Amino acid sequence: MLRLEDICLKLGSFELRNVSLEIKDGEYLVLLGPTGTGKTVLLETIAGLHRPGRGKIFLKGQDFTMMRPETRHLGVVYQDYALFPHLNIYRNIAFGLRLRGESKASIKIEVDRIAGFLDIRHLLRRRITNLSGGERQRVALARALVMKPHVLLLDEPLSALDRSTRDRLQRELKRIHREIGVTIFHITHDLSEAFFLGDRLAVMKDGEIQQEGLPDEVLGRPVNRFVAGLLGIENFIPATVREHGKIEIDGLGLINSDIPVSASGGESQIDLTVPGWAVEIFPEKGRDAYLWQGKMHIRNVNHTDGHSEIELAHESGVSLRTTISRREATGLPNSLADGSEVMTGLLREGVHWVSRDDKV
Amino acid sequence: MRSFKRRSGFDLVFALLGLILIILVVIPLFRMIVSANPEVMRSTMADGEVMSSIFLTLRAAFWATVFCAFFGVPLAYMLARRKFPGKSLVQGLVDLPVMIPHTAAGIALLMVYGRNFFLGRAFDGLGISFVGTEAGISLAMAYVSLPFLVNSARDGFALVDPKLERVARTLGASQWQSFYKVTLPLAWRPILSGGIMMWARGISEFGAVIVLAYHPMIAPVLIWERFQAYGLKYAQPVAVLLIILCLIIFAILRWLAERRREA
Repeated sequence: MLRLEDICLKLGSFELRNVSLEIKDGEYLVLLGPTGTGKTVLLETIAGLHRPGRGKIFLKGQDFTMMRPETRHLGVVYQDYALFPHLNIYRNIAFGLRLRGESKASIKIEVDRIAGFLDIRHLLRRRITNLSGGERQRVALARALVMKPHVLLLDEPLSALDRSTRDRLQRELKRIHREIGVTIFHITHDLSEAFFLGDRLAVMKDGEIQQEGLPDEVLGRPVNRFVAGLLGIENFIPATVREHGKIEIDGLGLINSDIPVSASGGESQIDLTVPGWAVEIFPEKGRDAYLWQGKMHIRNVNHTDGHSEIELAHESGVSLRTTISRREATGLPNSLADGSEVMTGLLREGVHWVSRDDKV
Repeated sequence: MRSFKRRSGFDLVFALLGLILIILVVIPLFRMIVSANPEVMRSTMADGEVMSSIFLTLRAAFWATVFCAFFGVPLAYMLARRKFPGKSLVQGLVDLPVMIPHTAAGIALLMVYGRNFFLGRAFDGLGISFVGTEAGISLAMAYVSLPFLVNSARDGFALVDPKLERVARTLGASQWQSFYKVTLPLAWRPILSGGIMMWARGISEFGAVIVLAYHPMIAPVLIWERFQAYGLKYAQPVAVLLIILCLIIFAILRWLAERRREA
């Protein structure tokens, strides 16, 4: 188990503030955050490349904080691969084993095994210059994995790749994790990557961990508006908690709600968080599943491959965004033309809230 | 690269301007070399004083370069990689020898390494004298030409992605090993190229050397002396010989330094 305790560090324009995290053995933890938020600094701090100003790092109960990077046995893979340009593929992968002083024969066996596992055996004699991005990333992974690291640290490993290569390598990372069972700490700014890969997610902003938990937990209950926005939640509806179980949505009226808002001291201002999937357009009235339902006008429709992004407007001025698939769209009686009136509902299980004060 | 046929007016003007500069460089050398009398050249090459002074020049400049590489490469690395207080001052100091007149540099060196200063006396006590010796020649050459090596090595180090060193560390390399196995193999070309430049600059040094060590005579001093004592006719063959030798050596070194880049 890797445990970060209260890590503080200032490095140039980056700052880590009281970062505490736990990565269990064999777990795939994804740290999600926008670019420039200090994710790479955190990863390099774990690797021992920066010394924290305060806080401690433990691995399997042992204090790592002051240990040199070369003695930590952690593997690092960077976004731009950082392969050694003066060495061929074989020597890149063998770099650490040679430093460790292993025999030529055993190095060959190990390099061969990991190259076979990652399907790059045919590249071993090549120079790195004419490899594709995907191939380079496999080589970088092989170079780290061949050392059998305690934890594999991945710094935006898929961000430099084109979409189809990224999808392929994403599945490959999952396979590596499943078959080798290595503990992985993966940082990214990409939401779908985080959900695809992460056993658990942590969300970071300005050097601070905002939230941590299982993907569904985080998505279902973002702790603040920043996390909700980062998770791709499209709609924030201002509302006021009137009394227990009653919420007044500005413009949509008073609704009964079992949203557990702790109305400490009477009324409080909140934002309802409504992901696009929780905004439904439906043919007829009458489902209990809706927190609120009513007529809305279609204001804007954009079609992407297989989906339609729809902007809806209520007469009170409240507007909502949702995305529906082509198949859903064909089930509707009305056409999805601009200006047409549709029945709209907010799915009870999709709607949560964040308090108004932590505006971002 | 664009084909020659499709060159624009822009390219033509720039190429012409550049060409004028190249001609300025080449004409004097060309004129001197073609006007050399083969008979005189032969006798010059047989002249023991000339040959030994040329070899002295090459040797002294070589040791100056080796000496500076030993201290200058680490300095270049620090300048490329680390932030430290007074860094721009250090960088300025490295560049300083290029800017001061070299005779002035020679006089400054004489004041420190001569017998009138404790440093000169201390070295003297160790049996090392810098006045009128080959060591003094190397010292003067090193002093005025070290910026070429240090700056080139610094630029070379700056081109090596620091992430490569970091990855090496996580793969079990100590800081020394990561420098030796990753950084140096990737930066050797600019370092070597800086070394060649420094050596060449050392060979051509006159001002600083003549103050500190008129004797033993390096080739530039010998050329000067023959010009003063006997005139152009006797100075020219020595100059031609030195230029031809230097051209050959640097052509070979440049070729060696470029060769593996192609491969």
